[in-house]
Amino acid sequence: MIRAVAVVLVAAGIATAADVSGPALDYALNCQGCHRADGSGTPGSVPALAGSVGKFLRVRGGREYVARVPGVAQAPLDDAATAGVLNWILERFGRDDLPADFSPYTAAEIGGLRRSPLTDVERVRRELLEAIARAR
Amino acid sequence: MIDRRRWLDRFVEVFARQMAQRTSRRSVLTRFGSFLVGATLPVLPVARAAEDGRLPPPDDAALKGDAGDPKSCNYWRHCAIDGFLCACCGGSQNACPPGTEMSPVTWIGTCRHPGDGKDYIISYNDCCGQSLCLRCRCTRTEGEKPLYFTSKNNDLLWCFGTKSRAVNCSVAVVLGVATRS
Repeated sequence: MIRAVAVVLVAAGIATAADVSGPALDYALNCQGCHRADGSGTPGSVPALAGSVGKFLRVRGGREYVARVPGVAQAPLDDAATAGVLNWILERFGRDDLPADFSPYTAAEIGGLRRSPLTDVERVRRELLEAIARAR
Repeated sequence: MIDRRRWLDRFVEVFARQMAQRTSRRSVLTRFGSFLVGATLPVLPVARAAEDGRLPPPDDAALKGDAGDPKSCNYWRHCAIDGFLCACCGGSQNACPPGTEMSPVTWIGTCRHPGDGKDYIISYNDCCGQSLCLRCRCTRTEGEKPLYFTSKNNDLLWCFGTKSRAVNCSVAVVLGVATRS
């Protein structure tokens, strides 16, 4: 019976459909499957965006890193749409962590950075996380 | 006053005895459980959704033929699914079968509803923790990308972030309506 109740509750909880458009739709179709709707990611598999992504922009090289990670550089979106969804992500999941002088990504900036995708993401990420920890 | 108490005692005693004779403990638990579910549902997102402008997903029952049948490969939400349909495996198009765990990592696409013509955002989550269901195999590829676009490929097993990597079946959950502006 407990299982039956749980199934009812799960079914009820997802029985709605909101309109989604613009960068939010691009996020849903290209990012959310792995990073999840709330940006929490999956420990050990997918990095969290919430409470994390904005901090990269506070250290040297972080702004470039965020635009060159595989999910961004290889996203099946044009430069303008990619800049749009990346700015949406930073606003939604990193607002409190962004530097005071943050300026949104532009299509031209994304176009330049995604031409040189990262070849050793883990190493660069580790170095940046160390820099973030030192900057506290 | 004493007579009244005796009358009340007598009434409660008769009521309790009749209830014990006519009902089983299991049926009482069932009715109590139904009461709890009924009391809980109004605070769930279904009720809140009505307040924030969300709409219920389209009515499958209004569709003719297989397009409205979650156990059919031709069900409208299955336009890009690859796996065994959970509706045939003890679950539903929204819920995993008992004993399995829904993968939080998933791949997401859109399917057009044949009734209202809208494109709905569909999340294809694998249900993990038991061996392959082997009922209602379905492979459709609308909007699917080749393997080198891993986040858009449905040939992969998507049991990531779950206790078990064993895949049982797949659900097709409506996340929203895709509106291109």
